[in-house]
Amino acid sequence: MNPENGKKSLFASRRSFLAVPPALFLAGCRFASGGKVDSTLKGFQRFNDWIQAKVFDPKKMAQEYSDEELTPEDGFRVNGYDTDEPDMDIPHWRLIVDGLVQKPGEYSMEEITKLPKYVKNLRHCCVEGWSMIPKWGGVLMKDFLDMVGADPKARYIAAECGDDYYTAWDMPSAMHSQTLLAYEAYGKPLELEHGAPLRVVMPVKLGYKSAKWITRLTITNEKPGGYWEDQGYDWFAGL
Amino acid sequence: MSAQKNYQHPFIIRATHWLNFLALTIMIMSGLRIYNASPIFPFLSSIPDNLTLGGWLGGARQWHFLGMWILGINGVIWVVYNVLSRHGRGTTIFSRKDVGGVVPMILYYLRLRKQHPPSGKYNALQKAAYTSVAFIGIGAVLTGVAIYWPVQFGVITRLFGNYDFARIWHFAFMAALVLFFGGHLFMVAISGWSNFLSMVTGYKKEG
Repeated sequence: MNPENGKKSLFASRRSFLAVPPALFLAGCRFASGGKVDSTLKGFQRFNDWIQAKVFDPKKMAQEYSDEELTPEDGFRVNGYDTDEPDMDIPHWRLIVDGLVQKPGEYSMEEITKLPKYVKNLRHCCVEGWSMIPKWGGVLMKDFLDMVGADPKARYIAAECGDDYYTAWDMPSAMHSQTLLAYEAYGKPLELEHGAPLRVVMPVKLGYKSAKWITRLTITNEKPGGYWEDQGYDWFAGL
Repeated sequence: MSAQKNYQHPFIIRATHWLNFLALTIMIMSGLRIYNASPIFPFLSSIPDNLTLGGWLGGARQWHFLGMWILGINGVIWVVYNVLSRHGRGTTIFSRKDVGGVVPMILYYLRLRKQHPPSGKYNALQKAAYTSVAFIGIGAVLTGVAIYWPVQFGVITRLFGNYDFARIWHFAFMAALVLFFGGHLFMVAISGWSNFLSMVTGYKKEG
């Protein structure tokens, strides 16, 4: 590439613009959903979900932070995008458990809070890219699943929420020893906007898996969908 | 006598070069759409839609995590080929021998020196650029892993500070790649059509 060899400037050549179109092509195209491109993308997404499930190591812990590293409470963020705060009848709230479970039924807050309490400062990573480190308090989802006799060999858990949100997890992520059913944040009872009375905190997955206002858990072997997952976000969403 | 043809680029180098262009186009454009979902810098609060790919955050993520396979597999092939064939040794990879050639080349580009310093296929500055861009590429991939898998590969995330810093690093490596691309296009443009074609056919016409 000695300049001496330069016979003709590339910019001076009309044919040189052949070099540009790939980028413009990608920029200009609208990729119709349901088309070949869309099904290829979805296929790769399922492949990536599969890889993520294989890579997931239940013994790998998310970093737990010191109180100095916490996001200040006034920065405890609510992602209100596309969600409405539901009217939760907190005094009469029950968590319904059904599916592949020995003791299906409706569980009250008193029964849940009898389980050992954990307080953890964990990073919440939103799919949008921002993150925060709140201080959570609650019980381990694993302890609750053990209490209700959920079949540990079942593959999935589907969650329903008070605001019609729904999502799902693979059993190993639900049984992870940092996955919480949280009823406290920053040492105080969870506020309605943050998912009161009970929400999920799952630091091994993207934020949309940490469902708020949960009302029902179904243990199942049939892969459940999710509000965002059904719209094209990754199902596994592991971190 | 017709112009002599000079073999410049082996097939694997040409193939990986253009696949890399395709992969980086996908990665950068979809990445910019992902950036728009939660911009990092106040002075860059929104990338124009025409420069992005995917249409929405979920679509952009689908493109990004498809493009990563092209980029990754292509990159591995390129590295393995270079190591096994020792292709870039002496001609493309910057080594200690090239240090002395840096200043004369800068002086030449600044027009403070008339004579083009002696060089092989690439001069010292080109070698420096091509060598460092390989490391920038590795940095882009590593920071990508750091924010894709901050729990499973938390070691890498902490290598770049933390999750939020790793995001900034990821953006910085992307920006460095774009800067390289600008300089690369300029150099290709002033080096002529035959030089450009050599990355397609492998051969360069020598006057």
